Amino acid sequence: MASGGGELGVVFDHHAQKAACDTRAKYWEGRQPRTAKVYTINLESRYLLIQGVPAVGAKGVERFALYGPIEQYKPLDEYPEEDFTEVYLIKFVNLQSARTAKKKMDEQSFFGGLLHVCYAPEFETVEETRKKLQERKAYIARSTKNKDYYMTKKKLTPEHKDMKDFRPDFYSEMSGFCAATLNTSTWNSNPSLPYSCELPLCYFSSQSTCSSGEHVDGPSNFSKDDRHHDDTVEQCNHNSLQKIQMNTLKSHVASSATQKPIPSSEAVGRFMPRTTQLQERKRRREDDRKLGAVETGFSGNEVMTGPLLPDTPRVDMHDDSLNTTANLIRNKLKEVSSSAPKPPEDKVEDVPASRPFKQRRI
Amino acid sequence: MAQKPKVDPHVGRLGYLQALVTEFQETESQDAKEQVLANLANFAYDPSNYQYLRQLQVVDLFLDSLSEENETLVEFAIGSSPVGKCRVLSMARVDSTQLAPRGGTQVSLFGSHKQHHRGLCNLCPDRANKEHILQAGGVPLITSCLSSPNEETVLSAVTTLMYLSSPGPGARPELSTEPVVQCMLRFSLSANARLRNLAQIFLEDFCTPSQVAEARGRQAHSALGIPLPRTEAPPRP
Repeated sequence: MASGGGELGVVFDHHAQKAACDTRAKYWEGRQPRTAKVYTINLESRYLLIQGVPAVGAKGVERFALYGPIEQYKPLDEYPEEDFTEVYLIKFVNLQSARTAKKKMDEQSFFGGLLHVCYAPEFETVEETRKKLQERKAYIARSTKNKDYYMTKKKLTPEHKDMKDFRPDFYSEMSGFCAATLNTSTWNSNPSLPYSCELPLCYFSSQSTCSSGEHVDGPSNFSKDDRHHDDTVEQCNHNSLQKIQMNTLKSHVASSATQKPIPSSEAVGRFMPRTTQLQERKRRREDDRKLGAVETGFSGNEVMTGPLLPDTPRVDMHDDSLNTTANLIRNKLKEVSSSAPKPPEDKVEDVPASRPFKQRRI
Repeated sequence: MAQKPKVDPHVGRLGYLQALVTEFQETESQDAKEQVLANLANFAYDPSNYQYLRQLQVVDLFLDSLSEENETLVEFAIGSSPVGKCRVLSMARVDSTQLAPRGGTQVSLFGSHKQHHRGLCNLCPDRANKEHILQAGGVPLITSCLSSPNEETVLSAVTTLMYLSSPGPGARPELSTEPVVQCMLRFSLSANARLRNLAQIFLEDFCTPSQVAEARGRQAHSALGIPLPRTEAPPRP
């Protein structure tokens, strides 16, 4: 991993908290006191610095795994720290996970202390920075393009390209909860693998690209430090998985719903949590294929042409988050089962083959 | 990140942004101005706001304050207290008579301009915003910020230049002039990892190899932040 070029232990300005601002006009007081900090793509990073983690092993990092797959993490011994606390560096696979994690976990109380979470872009390699900037640009281009289409209400062919763009994000976030195919035995032999909880939804991981395989390039490898985390991982794996599963999916959905500044009133009608949008588009794409209908843009407020196919009866669990989870599971099941007759046959082979055991290449 | 204010549902996004801009123009409180700018700069992160920001000429607001800042670099001494101080700004194009601060407020280089830089950095990858900035003559304003002593300002400026330079080297010659390339060469040797990375990307992706080679050849003759004229070439010991 990039060592930061002799800057280990240096406290950067952007790591420091600023005093809460109290001079705001009434009409835009937030729910909590906020500092006047402006984030640019420069400041944001897949790397997060966590300060104030009580010295209780990797429990702190465990919490962060809820927000997305973690590629690497390690304690930073050389960073100045308070007594009885540790400083961790966590590298998420996705920038979006880091954003959400930072937002949710910053200034949260944890084991009696206060966590301080900030971005740590100084740990990025050149290539990581480059990629980050390019993705930002691509994202803006996509958003603007689709917004234009929405505004002019043109009819378009389905946005397959966007689907592909979103798909890795979505699936790689899911794979964080089901990196799954790892047993504790493989964990022991591969200490530099990402940390995540094992969940029964393991067959999903076959659909996603092996995210760590992409990102683990030369300089960015934690090595010896992670061995002592194996115990806690085992413990994590054996904990009540169902509970974790529900909670993680719930927080995943919740977090993906609040990733960006949420457009207010006039846009409320077309705002949908990202996962649901994806499901909707997929479903409609399948419907379109069957009916030959043409789909409009992907903004979520799409106009359906043609009759909807009758859907399988849905169980209402009388709870929004549970329903969302149930929908997710149902859609996944549909997709997996419907992927069998499709042309990419190798995918089908991957599903059973990779399910029990997946060797990660480093 | 961006705040989530309690908005009157009838106001809507455009109305809200309008209120922000209005407050900025009308308030006497420097703190409030800084808050507004920070808020606008955060809104500039989200592409769904760009049409509103253009409509409200927020891009020009950011650019205007850049131009002020540059004049201040020449005319005023560096203020002492950094955060919380802000110069008087207006939506209209600023001329030098308006540069004097009101009510004896201390002038500082390190207050609001940070937000302008970040605001521009946030919204410049968008094609329409980019064109607007280029046409409004924003490039020299941004380039001159490369010599700012403020780290985040410089980082934002480098990133903004890269986004304006896209797609690749040679597309915008005014963005990779020799002083700029020399500056980037210096940055690429910096102890600051973030600056080093950004500069390297600039040199690799937005400069031609010959530009880099030429700048490298003259690098020894440039003082930090102030490129010397070609005729003066004191050799380095």
